[in-house]
Amino acid sequence: MRRRYRQPRFEVEDHAELSIWRRASVIDLGYVAYGGLIVSVVVLSYIAGAFALLPFDPQAIDFELLNAPPGAGDHWLGTDFLGRDILARLILGIQAYFLPGLLAVVIALAGGTAFGLVAGYRGGRADTVVTYFANLIDSFPRLVLILLVIAAFKPDIYYIMVVVGITGVPTVASLIKGKIQFLREKNFIEAAQALGLPTRTILLKHILWYNCRALLIIQATLGMGEAILIETSLSYLGFGVQEPTPSWGNMVQAGANYFLQGNFWPSTAPALAILFTILGFHLLGDGLNNILEGKRGRQ
Amino acid sequence: MKLAAALPIARTLGRELVLTALLLLGVSAVVFGILYLAPGDPFSALLEGQMPDAQAIAGLREAMGVPQTWYGQYWAWLSNLVTGNFGTSVRTGLPVGQELLRVGINTLILTLGSMLVTLLIAVPIALGAAARRRSPVNAPLTLAAYVVSALPVFWLGYVAIYIFIHYFNIFPLAFGGAGSDGKVWIYYLLPILVLGVGNGTLAEIIRYLREEIGRVLAEDYIRTARAKGAKVWRHAFKEGFLIPVTEIVASKIPFILGGAVIVEQVFNWPGMGRLAWQAAQDRDFPVIMGIALVAAAFVRLGSLLQRVVFTAVNPRASQE
Amino acid sequence: MSAPLLSIEDLRTYFYSRAKRAFIRSVDGVNLEVNRGETLGVVGESGSGKSITALSVMGLVPAEPGVVTGRIRLKTDRIDKNLLDDLDNHVELGRRRGRIMEVAKNETAWRENVERIMASVRGPEIAMIFQNPKSALNPYSPVGRQISESIRLHTNYRGKAEARERALYWLERVKIDSPGLRYDNYPYGLSGGMCQRAMIAMALSSEPALLIADEPTTGLDATIQARIVDLLAELKRELGITTLLISHDIGVIQRLADRISVMYGGTVVESGPARDVLAPDNDIRHPYTAALLASKPSARNIAAKGRLQAIEGEVLDTVNLPAGCRFYGRCNKVTDAIRAQCAGEEPKLSEVAPGHRVRCWLHAK
Repeated sequence: MRRRYRQPRFEVEDHAELSIWRRASVIDLGYVAYGGLIVSVVVLSYIAGAFALLPFDPQAIDFELLNAPPGAGDHWLGTDFLGRDILARLILGIQAYFLPGLLAVVIALAGGTAFGLVAGYRGGRADTVVTYFANLIDSFPRLVLILLVIAAFKPDIYYIMVVVGITGVPTVASLIKGKIQFLREKNFIEAAQALGLPTRTILLKHILWYNCRALLIIQATLGMGEAILIETSLSYLGFGVQEPTPSWGNMVQAGANYFLQGNFWPSTAPALAILFTILGFHLLGDGLNNILEGKRGRQ
Repeated sequence: MKLAAALPIARTLGRELVLTALLLLGVSAVVFGILYLAPGDPFSALLEGQMPDAQAIAGLREAMGVPQTWYGQYWAWLSNLVTGNFGTSVRTGLPVGQELLRVGINTLILTLGSMLVTLLIAVPIALGAAARRRSPVNAPLTLAAYVVSALPVFWLGYVAIYIFIHYFNIFPLAFGGAGSDGKVWIYYLLPILVLGVGNGTLAEIIRYLREEIGRVLAEDYIRTARAKGAKVWRHAFKEGFLIPVTEIVASKIPFILGGAVIVEQVFNWPGMGRLAWQAAQDRDFPVIMGIALVAAAFVRLGSLLQRVVFTAVNPRASQE
Repeated sequence: MSAPLLSIEDLRTYFYSRAKRAFIRSVDGVNLEVNRGETLGVVGESGSGKSITALSVMGLVPAEPGVVTGRIRLKTDRIDKNLLDDLDNHVELGRRRGRIMEVAKNETAWRENVERIMASVRGPEIAMIFQNPKSALNPYSPVGRQISESIRLHTNYRGKAEARERALYWLERVKIDSPGLRYDNYPYGLSGGMCQRAMIAMALSSEPALLIADEPTTGLDATIQARIVDLLAELKRELGITTLLISHDIGVIQRLADRISVMYGGTVVESGPARDVLAPDNDIRHPYTAALLASKPSARNIAAKGRLQAIEGEVLDTVNLPAGCRFYGRCNKVTDAIRAQCAGEEPKLSEVAPGHRVRCWLHAK
């Protein structure tokens, strides 16, 4: 298969560097577009759910229309094994993870930034201590730790998301530390210090805002994806919101028996919702990563 | 390996062991902290469970010597742990240590097996992508990996079960029991396959491996190897394959263990994950604590092994 | 007069910048000839395309599209072939106003082709040494073992023990102290100079017909550089091996080259016997060569002008090539008579003395 290379113009402007968005590959742009779409849908649905702007009453049981396929009787996504509208339940299910997920992300970013800055900027012993705690937190499988917390306290999703947030701190911290090391190698930090800039300015303005903000946005999207995965897994296991309140996880669990009997849709609809949503956050994060942070080896 | 070279390596490994021990200590502190802070003082109950004859203690706490200070409790608990005494299960009254051993092995099989499956899928894809940097196959494959990584593993489990029931007429839920045709290995295979595919780390593993392999292939010394007509993979193996694979596997163990909790639920697999779920429901502290410790220990073991490999391969590692 | 050992004809190796949507014409029509037993020195600034030329010969061009046209004929005792054989079948070029503006290339097929051709060439026919010897050697393997690998692959010393013997022999030949101990050292434990000696040993141990040395002294300390040059001179005397020596350091070229080709902006601008090209009082040379020689820190140069002479201007941007002579923007020998020509049309190589060619309107016939 032949690759084509074209030079359209004879004279190439000296600094004819296209902006990163024009240089970005179609694939990455596609990822970001899809991810952005998903995020928008989630946010809008969250708002809709919060204000109960739903097509049907999510709890309304309808024995006439059990396990209806999408389209039947005005139910855009059909009904489940109790005749309840699936779309409404899916929208409502977002309530279960949206705010808690944000909490987890905020904690992970805040904690990770704080520790990453300390470890990267101060170095030495501070670095060793932070690394120790990072390794410590990383030693626990998240679900197991959460089960421990559930056993000790209560299955409150906010407690749990605090734990999720904490477990996300090491990743963010190590990325920030890495960025600082990178800047250090470029003598960026030395230069800033030589200019007499106050430490706080260096940290906040130059390191974080100029150099790390892409990284933080990306970690936020990936972190939200993780939080959704955890919440849905937990509610599948029965530790999240309880029936009849819908959550994507407990919807899959409730429909499990019917699935094995050949009635796929009640379980598959929420599973697909999980799939498309988590996929959206992942692709958004990775697409942005490739575009903003630059793939290596690109020309 | 010459003796002169072996000694510094042993020293580095010794340091890794110490670090691991310190981390495990930290793990125990975290677990202790959580339980200690929990309402209802589950910790003392736990300690009581660790006593040799549990019945005798009722009402005789202080006389039997359950310490009252937090550091006293921590010390007592830790000493018991080290001798393998994990206390007794609140639900069954059986010693937790034994339980953990039994179910731990099942989870170990599940975890190791599924790691192998994940690698079997990820490595060829990563190798292919690194070798053919701009092949048109790359993009769809990467996207497919992302999709697979976003699949909820519990749903995937049901899909797998359904396929097996209806297309192969096998009921994988009857674990351990004799199937009508003695195809016992199928019962092992399915959960391992499902966890291997669905643990959500596939995309990242592929991406990491592809990046590392690609990076090493662009190194100067690989160019020299090509220039002298040597087999590239022989030179690239250590830095381009062995190290990255062990590193990514070690770092993903926590995720696979987490996935195991779910998969064991779907398939009713009698492992640590399912036991953990049960324990969380029953608030069976000794059990869940023991599981948390064992899981963390497993993670640290994996990390230690990876460091061993790294040190053994790296001529410079022993200098630090 | 027998055919040259290596003959490069109209070689073009391009890269592509997606950001600028333009070709980087690293090697843009290069002709070189290396005769048996001689050392051809290729000199030029960074970015002149000399290293890429060498990599093109070896089939090691790192990015795409890579080699797009040309012929590289290798004629040794054992083989006689065009290393770029079949290139035309994998590449399609589109030209506008005489310049290549479009390339369609089947990279995978071409690479397979190259690997097939080069499999019997790399090692026994051509061996290459690189700059930055510490990073050019495998950090995970003792240097002695890396030499033995070459020996076992390409010579008759197949056994482990005899290959090791042979490797020790070569280590001695390159004047490494205590070869027996050094054999087991890893590159990180050796100095840059020692690593370079080891790499030279490795290259020579496969007994090649041609040695390509790409900036062998770059990356080393100044005093070590001199030592390596001494070593290369000695080996040249003892072995008489044909060498393609690439360097931006004209001092190195002076000491080792029999013939010299000067490269600038992806093309050869002057080529001839070292004596002629370097002759201090020679007026018939390319202005770039003159500037290079004048800029070398030496007593004579400083006495002549009172200070170091740098070459004005910046290195040529091989993306935006000028219409006329590539050196026009920096040339200090342009006269009004030829100015229009220099700016408008690229000169061809013309022979100013037997075997001595210059690409300049000043000296064109």
